[in-house]
Amino acid sequence: MASALAPIFSTKSTSVSVSSSLSTPTRISTKSTSVSVYSSLSTPTRINQKNPKVRVFTKPKLNPISAFSDPYVLQIAETLEDSLPSLSSPPLQKLRETSSETLLSTPWPSRKDEPFRFTDTSFLKNSRIEPILPPKIQSSSLDVFSDTLLPTISILDGYIMNELSQLKELASGVYVGSLLSVKSEAILKRVSEYESDFKGDLFWSLNGVGTPDVLLVYVPEGCKVENTLVLRYISGESSDKGSKALPFSNPRVLVLVEKGGEISIVEEYVGGEKDKCYWSNSVIEVVVGEGAKVSHSYLQNQSLNAAHIKWTWVQQESTSTYEHIEVSTGGKLSRHNIHIQQVGPDTVTELSTFHMCISDQTQDLHSRLVLDHPRGVSQQIHKCIVAHSSGQAVFDGNVQVNRYAQQTDAGQLTRSLLLEPRATVNVKPNLQIIADDVKCSHGAAISDLEEDQLFYFRARGVDVETARKALIFSFAAEVVDRFPNASIRKKVETHIRELLDPSRP
Amino acid sequence: MGKNGSGKSTFAKVLVGHPDYKITGGNVSFKGENLLEMEPEERSLAGVFMSFQSPVAIPGVSNIDFLNMAYNAKRKKLGQPELGPIEFYGHIAPKLELVNMKIDFLNRNVNDGFSGGERKRNEILQLAVLGADLAILGEIDSGLDVDALRDVAKAVNWLLSFKNSVLMITHYLRLLEFIKPTYIHIMEDGRIIKTGDISIAEVLEKEGYKAISGT
Repeated sequence: MASALAPIFSTKSTSVSVSSSLSTPTRISTKSTSVSVYSSLSTPTRINQKNPKVRVFTKPKLNPISAFSDPYVLQIAETLEDSLPSLSSPPLQKLRETSSETLLSTPWPSRKDEPFRFTDTSFLKNSRIEPILPPKIQSSSLDVFSDTLLPTISILDGYIMNELSQLKELASGVYVGSLLSVKSEAILKRVSEYESDFKGDLFWSLNGVGTPDVLLVYVPEGCKVENTLVLRYISGESSDKGSKALPFSNPRVLVLVEKGGEISIVEEYVGGEKDKCYWSNSVIEVVVGEGAKVSHSYLQNQSLNAAHIKWTWVQQESTSTYEHIEVSTGGKLSRHNIHIQQVGPDTVTELSTFHMCISDQTQDLHSRLVLDHPRGVSQQIHKCIVAHSSGQAVFDGNVQVNRYAQQTDAGQLTRSLLLEPRATVNVKPNLQIIADDVKCSHGAAISDLEEDQLFYFRARGVDVETARKALIFSFAAEVVDRFPNASIRKKVETHIRELLDPSRP
Repeated sequence: MGKNGSGKSTFAKVLVGHPDYKITGGNVSFKGENLLEMEPEERSLAGVFMSFQSPVAIPGVSNIDFLNMAYNAKRKKLGQPELGPIEFYGHIAPKLELVNMKIDFLNRNVNDGFSGGERKRNEILQLAVLGADLAILGEIDSGLDVDALRDVAKAVNWLLSFKNSVLMITHYLRLLEFIKPTYIHIMEDGRIIKTGDISIAEVLEKEGYKAISGT
């Protein structure tokens, strides 16, 4: 098997012929979707490898494709493929190939699939997905500069914008920038050594096919980065509510922290103008080396009509620490998948998440922590508030304590506050324990505000409305207080207060 | 004063407007107004303060924020400008000394992880900060050691003036040694059956409630 041109979306082939056509590299795609569904190639065609940009069209024949391929998925994948330049660097090309291969047998999730039982993705399926092309905007036209003084890198619709970033000198040896611009051989070698064979879901693979670039954050061995690094994701392209078109972006980040390194990262997703529609489908992979520490803050404030799907994949080596603090308030459909894989003993994992619906939104957190080594310590707290009668929160918290994860200490707590009639929350905390010498706990509570506490306020002269607001805010405070950076904490506090009390001056 | 179950705490809760109780008859006149027609927050702003026997904890709301909110509610009622956190802190720092509590106490969450004595002192601190025309102190002496009791009594005495009143619910003479009552009322089965001065307490101590009831 040679060349960078592995077959991608030869929608004319059945699943069998995909593997055979791998040995004779062929790149075929069609632009017409109705043709692609029902055409097939009986013999793969070898194209001219000297001119890799040529796409070869073949005469369609009328064999239906295998039932494994979802035509809608293939259609999106083709659209993505067409929107990207065909030449790119080896790591990115490899990513595209692996992801596209997976997509050939991944259907669009339905409500019958457990991971999407409570999450309705039909509005995505009913839209016309339009991958966003490289932006050509002027920096002055967007409010991009962070209001903090922290080193910031801006990612606009999935494209890294160096001209919109303010990256001060971080510690020596630290690299923050596009994977395609890495000059250091050593770093490239390390990145190529790291290979994730993780298969997320359809959206993970779509990102693999559609991402134009990968932002690499590399922290060398023993390096403790003092400044907090902010990754600011901005949505520029959008459509109006009611339009069928849905601009689609696929930002991707790889954070590689070597042994003994330390870094604190903030991912901040800011929506475009209010009520705009777009779909942001992002992936971040974090490799925490032996004894390393990563603190990961995540703020999601997308437009209330946008779709936001995110994967956070983390690999923790022995004695490493990973701390994740999240506040998610935006998006019409917001789905966050967290997967943490322990690959060594004595790890520390802390997950603190807060989701809130103030309009007819869906806030969904699916987390999975896989422990395969002894003496891991983990603590997870998830809080959500549904403050709208059509709002919905979903939580699926899975912790797997496998055979060799003896003396694990794992705790999980979820608390939900339903503040309006017909507000909904679906929680599924699930612990799967195989090891027999462990300490695990989990708890879930769903309620309205406590009467006793409300009365205490009233007995001291504070009216019901003010008391409710104070109590609701304090519910969120348990998570918000955990942000390590004070300016981020303050920003989030103000934002939550505004959402809960829009009339406040 | 009165036996267990005579209705002392119920009476206090009804005065303050606790949602557990529904009034079926009668009225309460306070400074010329019918208290029973007022919402709990209105009663508090009118000048009624009740210290809770087991005050609820409010994790997530700090003592200083809670006091600030309550204080500003009062200021608003009086048409005065509200105090920001810093000015408010200046206002209450001396009151902390009154109840013998340290400054770091203000940053702790309301009654969260407090000992019994700390909760009671927190109630008195709230009284000192907010002021009241009628302070109802429900069994403020239960669970307090003798030093804490002395502190609480000192604070209450300081707060008492010719302009306001304190209604204390207690079982024992001990507290009455520190805070001298003008009147003592004995309750039995939800009714006040006797009113007198401190001499009643001495009779109770010697001979128990049997000596009073039915007399």
